Amino acid sequence: MLSANAVMTGSYDYGEVARSVLIAIAASYAALDLAGRVTAASGRTRAAWLTGGAIAMGIGIWAMHFKGMLAFRLPVQVSYYWPTVLLSLLVAILASAFALYVVSRQKLGWARALTGSFVMGGGIAAMHYIGMAAMRLAAVTRFAALLVTLSVVLAIVFSFAALMLAFDLREETKGTALRKIASAVVMGVAVSAMHYTGMAAASFMPSAVPPNLSHAVSISPLGNNGIVIVTILVLGTAILTSSVDRLTEAEVRRLNEGLEQRVVERTRQLTAANEQLRREIAERQRAEDALRRSEDRLRSVIDTIPALVWSKMPDGSADFFNQRFREYTGLSVEEGLGEGWLKAFHPEDRASSVDEWRSAFATGKPFEFEARLRRADGEYRWFLLRGVPLRDELGNIIKWYGTTTDIEDRKRAEWALQEAQAGLSHVTRVMAMGELVASIAHEVNQPLTGVVTNANFCLRQLASETPNLEKLREAIAEIVNDGTRASAVISRIRALLMKGAPERVELDINEIIQEVAVLVRNEVTRNRISLRNDLAPDLPRVLGDRVQLQQVLINLVMNGIDAMRTLTDRSRELLIKSAKNPSGVLIQVHDSGPGLDLEQADRIFEPFFTTKPEGIGMGLSISRSIVESHGGRLWAVPGSNGALFQFTLPSSANSVS
Amino acid sequence: MTEPAPTVFVVDDDPSVRRAIKRLVGSVGLEVELFESAQEFLRSKRADAPSCLVLDIRLPGISGLDFQRELAQANIHIPIIFITAHGDIPMTVRAMKAGAVEFLTKPFRDQDLLDAIQIALERDRARRQQEAEIATLRERFESLTPREREVLPLVVSGMLNKQIAAEIGTSETTVKVHRGQLMRKMGADSLADLVRMAERMGISSKAA
Repeated sequence: MLSANAVMTGSYDYGEVARSVLIAIAASYAALDLAGRVTAASGRTRAAWLTGGAIAMGIGIWAMHFKGMLAFRLPVQVSYYWPTVLLSLLVAILASAFALYVVSRQKLGWARALTGSFVMGGGIAAMHYIGMAAMRLAAVTRFAALLVTLSVVLAIVFSFAALMLAFDLREETKGTALRKIASAVVMGVAVSAMHYTGMAAASFMPSAVPPNLSHAVSISPLGNNGIVIVTILVLGTAILTSSVDRLTEAEVRRLNEGLEQRVVERTRQLTAANEQLRREIAERQRAEDALRRSEDRLRSVIDTIPALVWSKMPDGSADFFNQRFREYTGLSVEEGLGEGWLKAFHPEDRASSVDEWRSAFATGKPFEFEARLRRADGEYRWFLLRGVPLRDELGNIIKWYGTTTDIEDRKRAEWALQEAQAGLSHVTRVMAMGELVASIAHEVNQPLTGVVTNANFCLRQLASETPNLEKLREAIAEIVNDGTRASAVISRIRALLMKGAPERVELDINEIIQEVAVLVRNEVTRNRISLRNDLAPDLPRVLGDRVQLQQVLINLVMNGIDAMRTLTDRSRELLIKSAKNPSGVLIQVHDSGPGLDLEQADRIFEPFFTTKPEGIGMGLSISRSIVESHGGRLWAVPGSNGALFQFTLPSSANSVS
Repeated sequence: MTEPAPTVFVVDDDPSVRRAIKRLVGSVGLEVELFESAQEFLRSKRADAPSCLVLDIRLPGISGLDFQRELAQANIHIPIIFITAHGDIPMTVRAMKAGAVEFLTKPFRDQDLLDAIQIALERDRARRQQEAEIATLRERFESLTPREREVLPLVVSGMLNKQIAAEIGTSETTVKVHRGQLMRKMGADSLADLVRMAERMGISSKAA
């Protein structure tokens, strides 16, 4: 037994002290660690972290404290009143919660730091002294006021330092692990220091009064170790959870950052692509605008060009008409498409136009023809239609393009000119006829005058009593001369009409027929006559004068045209036919006019016989002379089925030059 | 006084026609001279005898009608008979208006030509006689003194001697002498005769 006033000397189990310090360090570390977690989390997670963290940290602090108390060995049995112990644990947890709450705030001002320090420091001190109050031992506990104050001040100061550290370290950046451990060590040591200062403030006087051991427990070494283990487990779990969470979060953040970077990268690429696209769109827009302007320009050119413009597919169906075409014909685009454009053609020109198209489409050659097109008001005007094919690189026709030009005025002028020419030629012919007649009369009358005068002289001589026979003989000789002269005059006139000295060369009569067909084409077309050639191949060549034979054919063709000029009840057809005959060739010119009767067929070759009002009756006479001079024969075949004129020419082998 | 033999001139470019006409006209006893062209005719020295011209309308160089006009302008008053192988009415009218005797179309009837030649020669004869008379009168007129020439128009205008004397400022007796002289020189038997002569010479009577 010890004296009542003697202070019991306590000793420390240094192993327990070291363990308590370690626990303090571990708790500090856990606190620092958890502060970061609480800060990083938000909402429910934050509340969970705050609660869990506060429990773990509180248990850690409390365990260190309790361990420190257990490390203090007194000569008496020490028991602990467990409700108080629990209270101290609760205080530790609350203080920890408050501390975590403070450091996890967005800002940590001086006022808040100081308030936090006081609350936390006060809490720790309260926990400490409450814990001491739980001791049940046979001694009286005295506290040295100075040391108690010091311990409280230390608690507050260390709390301040801890808060500042924790706030500083809560941002979980790299390279803080070492600093965190260092800080945990400092904090742990500081907490331990405060605890042991508080312990030092307490002294125990032996007391005879047995401690109230109700609800008191004695801490066995096993229980002591259990506390350590539980504490370590709790703290370990907290730290592990925290670090796993942090790692996860870091991973997530890393992933997030990667993702973000990728997003940024993609966004940049996307922006660049967008920009490129925008530029391309703008470029295309410009190109399209230019194209449209160019198209508009072309269209306005095509629409205003003074011609009807069209395009057709290779099969001949139309697929475009310019505005002038539509305006002229009064057909809408739809009406004109396909074969609809044919409606604009004059009924008489439709068949021939279709033939022209067909042959052009079949041969693929550019074409040109004339036809009448109906204007919207119903008037027909002459047009010149021209078309050319457009081919691809393989030579296939893709399309036909063409213009249709109004030639009505030119056509009228042409007709007027032709009529004027025809009139002029008629006048010329009449005048020529007059001159011819005068010439013939004069030339023939001269010798006739001589004949008549001489004959009268002869009669007078014969009537006289002494006729002068010598003079009579002279006069009669003159009469014979003059008679011969008159006949020569007629021959000379005929030769004059045939013009030029004839020459004889080898000729192909078919060639001459074709040449004549070209020469009379205008006249044939103007009189709406269809001229047909039926030429036998391999005809023998004839010996003749090209111009004279052309003259004969033209004469016959013109006679045919004249004969059909007034024909209205049937088609006007003219056929020129060549064939082989025994001595050479036979050429026929057959018209569809009124034909010739027997008398006409006979007399028509006499000089000055004509069936035409403006005829002088020399054409056939001269033609017959020409044919006969070539060793051939020219005659007319009577009949009502049109006039048939035919002539023969000996082949060059049979002809006598 | 024997008349020189009348001559027929023929201008035609056709020698056969020329010869036939000469033969025909010659057979009725007329002198015939042939010319190929108008120029040849103009250049020729023609005898001073009644004559006429048988002229073809169509001539080399100049037409017969134009030649007719040229002759008139040159004061050659020879009667013309036109012959033509081809004539028309306007041509005929023009020729006749210009004084042609006849317009014959070849071949013509021989009698028509001969008749026309006779008429033409008659006409030429008359003309020649007239011209001869006027020439005689002119000769007589030339033999008058200037004073007598002055008095003549006054006499033929029917003035009395007294009036004439007053007109020319001389005595009536002097006028009477002049009057007698000019009547004798002109060969006029009476005043009426003198008046006729004056008219033919183209001397107009002087009105008082």
